[in-house]
Amino acid sequence: MLSSIVLSNGIIQVTDKCKACDHCTSICPTHAIKGRLGEKHHIEIRKCINCGQCLINCPFGAINDVSMVDERIIKALKDPNKFVVVQEAPAVRVALGEEFGQAPGTNVKHKMYAALRKLGFDKVYDTEFTADLTITEEGTELIYRVFNALGVPGYEDFGPLPQFTSCCPAWVKYAEDKYPHVLPHISTAKSPQQMFGAISKTYLAEKLGVDPSSIYSVSVMPCTAKKYECDRPEFMVSGFRDVDAVMTTRELAQMIKSAGIDFMSLEDEQADRFIGASTGAATIFGATGGVMEAALRTAYEVLSGETLGKVEFKAVRGRKPVREATVEIPVKALGGKVLPVNVCIVTGTKYVDPVIEDVLAGRSKYHFIEVMNCPGGCINGGGQPIRRDTY
Amino acid sequence: MSIFTEKVGMTRRQFLKGSGMLAVAVIVTGVFAKIGFDAFAASDEYIDQRIAGLYTLDEQMAIRKSHENPEIIQIYQDFLSPGEQKYLSEKAHHLLHTKYGKDIPAFIEELNQHRDVA
Repeated sequence: MLSSIVLSNGIIQVTDKCKACDHCTSICPTHAIKGRLGEKHHIEIRKCINCGQCLINCPFGAINDVSMVDERIIKALKDPNKFVVVQEAPAVRVALGEEFGQAPGTNVKHKMYAALRKLGFDKVYDTEFTADLTITEEGTELIYRVFNALGVPGYEDFGPLPQFTSCCPAWVKYAEDKYPHVLPHISTAKSPQQMFGAISKTYLAEKLGVDPSSIYSVSVMPCTAKKYECDRPEFMVSGFRDVDAVMTTRELAQMIKSAGIDFMSLEDEQADRFIGASTGAATIFGATGGVMEAALRTAYEVLSGETLGKVEFKAVRGRKPVREATVEIPVKALGGKVLPVNVCIVTGTKYVDPVIEDVLAGRSKYHFIEVMNCPGGCINGGGQPIRRDTY
Repeated sequence: MSIFTEKVGMTRRQFLKGSGMLAVAVIVTGVFAKIGFDAFAASDEYIDQRIAGLYTLDEQMAIRKSHENPEIIQIYQDFLSPGEQKYLSEKAHHLLHTKYGKDIPAFIEELNQHRDVA
């Protein structure tokens, strides 16, 4: 069974093509790759967080990720009794075009919807819808944690501050493996991928009048760790696997090519109704600092009761591994008292340890901390097109 | 006679020649180093381009705040908190939130029981 392989052996494997050049050992954020110079390397499963950074950086293409395409996705598409729905992460739409000769950053969202329909998916939705749902849930949780810390009665059930984001499955596994004491600080909100899975087999089934047992939920992700996340045993709140299978941006491009679809000449299409609408806030989830900015846009308006004139929070953008900013929010519920919200953004799990140690020691000044494992955010994830032209 | 021979370490001609060669060497090294650094810097330019792509897309969107997404409003009104716009409602908590680490086995147990009741 594929799922037992995923859970026991992880997603990333070093093949015999390994030249033992040691490049990956310097990339790996958790030092999970072992092997002496000149000897085929291997991955220590206990430490690996399935991020795939070694894979996209390997100069020899010697590292592979477990594929769910043949064993799960193709089978489901061929099965007439399965109602196959698909979601695509924000980072996929600005990188998929690279596999078809476009410059990095070219938006091919509408062609991607069209290609997925051509591949046989019954309904094409968008992870950006559940990214928005993540913001309303996770943002509200943050607000309640702040109320709890301020001693407002009625919010005692909510966890401590600072709150960490929970969207990145590589980061969540890293925290579980190395810093179990920081877990109460991680938002209980599921990642957008898993929210989509849960919603597709409950709300969507109800709206479309489809039996949830026949719904097959597929996601297209820029990420290899998402494959591990979808097979984690606890994600079955709908009574079925919330997300049944995950493919990477590379695998989608491969599927489109194998099906003989001329991607760039496809007509633009739109996502389907009910769980397909997206906003700009959800789009920027794919970049480091994006979840933070999206959360600030909503938290500011909900807390202050005012409408933001300028929606951009440029202070949280950038490529520096650890960034911080302070946003002053007038809180209506506290009589207009201005609350300075200290936020921190970490991109690259290599740099998160000092931030966590400050939190555990109780000397962290932050309220909200975004952690994304891959440098630059999901757009540079382990499932994205590999750029060999730069070596 | 040797008293009239000046012991100069370097003639003016030699100095000009030497400094000229040194200057050329520095310029050549600099040019090659710049080419090298540029090649290295280009190696992650695609990350910035993809990020820029997302921010451009954000600017083009009609709605730029999550809570204003019409389908988000609809899912709370119809399903997660029927009749109102209540984030973190009981149903939302059940479907959209999870647990971590050592809490997972008990959480799975709880989910299984919830299913039996339902």
